[in-house]
Amino acid sequence: MARAARWLRGPSPYLMLVGFALFLGAWYAAVEVWKLPRVQKLPGLTAVVQEWVSRNPTYGLSLFTAEYYDHIWVSVRRVGIAFLLATGLGVPLGLALGWSRDVREYVFPVFEVLRPVPILAWVPISLIVFKGAETPVVFLTFIAAFFVTTLNTMLGVQSIDRTYVRAAVCLGASRIQVLRDVVIPGALPFIFTGLQIAIGVAWFSLVAAEMVSGEYGLGYVINTSYAKIQYPTIVIGMITLGLIGYVTSAIVRLCGRLLMQWRERELATGGR
Amino acid sequence: MAGRRLSGRALRRAAVSLVVFVAIWELGARSGPLFGFKLPWLGDLPHPSAVVLIWARMATEAAYWYSWLASFWRVLGGFAAAMVLGIPLGLALAASRTFRGTVFPVFEVIRPIPPLAWVPAAIIVWPTQELAITFITFLGAFFTIVINVLGGVRSLDTRFVQAARSLGASNADVFRRIILPATVPSIVVGAAVGIGITWEVVVAAEMISGASKVGGKGAGLGHLIWASYLGGDYNQIVVGMVSIGIAGYLCSSAVRRLGTWLTSWQTTR
Repeated sequence: MARAARWLRGPSPYLMLVGFALFLGAWYAAVEVWKLPRVQKLPGLTAVVQEWVSRNPTYGLSLFTAEYYDHIWVSVRRVGIAFLLATGLGVPLGLALGWSRDVREYVFPVFEVLRPVPILAWVPISLIVFKGAETPVVFLTFIAAFFVTTLNTMLGVQSIDRTYVRAAVCLGASRIQVLRDVVIPGALPFIFTGLQIAIGVAWFSLVAAEMVSGEYGLGYVINTSYAKIQYPTIVIGMITLGLIGYVTSAIVRLCGRLLMQWRERELATGGR
Repeated sequence: MAGRRLSGRALRRAAVSLVVFVAIWELGARSGPLFGFKLPWLGDLPHPSAVVLIWARMATEAAYWYSWLASFWRVLGGFAAAMVLGIPLGLALAASRTFRGTVFPVFEVIRPIPPLAWVPAAIIVWPTQELAITFITFLGAFFTIVINVLGGVRSLDTRFVQAARSLGASNADVFRRIILPATVPSIVVGAAVGIGITWEVVVAAEMISGASKVGGKGAGLGHLIWASYLGGDYNQIVVGMVSIGIAGYLCSSAVRRLGTWLTSWQTTR
């Protein structure tokens, strides 16, 4: 409460309001008042808001239609499955790559050859290889998150000070104990940086995959609304994606903070 | 990993692993005729040997190289625009608290929208498809660069600024002698990440917007992949994927090399 009160007394909430007012005002003015060339074809602020909160939307998608939540749910589920798979496979692989030089020297070259290929370039191949509409989309989302998670976990293991490992071994720790008590906690900050980025790229590639091949979901909404010239719905889809993307990264950040409370404390005490 | 010398053993092992990878792929892709049943997933892939043959043929055709050129131009245009607009915006956000308080919340709300969600809006607003694709590419790199520049300035030790001020430095001096050099490493990091994203985005934008051919010659590597898929020419898909991988890798290492050169004091210390 005290923090909220102090925040309200400072300038930031009012500056923020000014910022949003300017942004929304510019959008409204450019599209609906001045009708700037080309820009006026975009859906205006009032059109989007009206459509979004309408109980009986012109183009069939608003806060009050069940279909809107169906699309959100489909997208969230796809990202969720892909993200969990990527974490479940990427973190162990990254730990192995960072931990064992043999594994790294044999596996990493293949990984590095595949990694520069953009996720979207995988779209046709995954459509050929995986049957159905759902698996290719989840696969594309997965592979984007997987590369980031694995790479960051590997870097995290490599960032650990060797003396910690030596000290633990010296005091009689077994390999399992070193892994559990030194390597995993030591790599955790990097792993969570990786997961942060991974959830972002997961949404990025989900939208792309849905635009190309989805039969449901927010990316599909945006693409079909464009094709059907239902322009306000495009913007509703964009805003919804931004909101949900923001919420999911906040959740990942929160998990990281909860798992790494020792690190918060360390940072607060200046590393002593 | 660039710049690190690999030992002989590491190189041998890398060669072994790549050969095994291609061999499994080839065998898997030919598993239908070879073993009488298709291996799951692998069985539907194009054969690497066929891909190499197709590639050798395509490399002699001008259209293939025009596709490279088209994608390169779009990446370059979007990336350059992102640098030119993103660096000053990042510096301004870091320099003025009022400006940051006003603009940054709006920026943070727009940032999570994936660049590809902008495709329809971009096509509506921009007069040509070319500009729309370049705009999407720009968006991909822009946010990363701004965030990195802002983070770079804010991680600056304020004692440097205070010391300079107490020795009588003007605002301009502080900016030119302290803030700018201190931000260069973050700009380099932002640029390295950003160029990677632009390649991701350009492929997607070309696929989704159905890029038209540039002068009737080539429409970009992303378009090449998509057209090959629609035309059922699966070997060409892999050629396109590998080409984009190479192009992205070349761009990234060029940016990284330029960055190391720009921040040479970091490596020599």
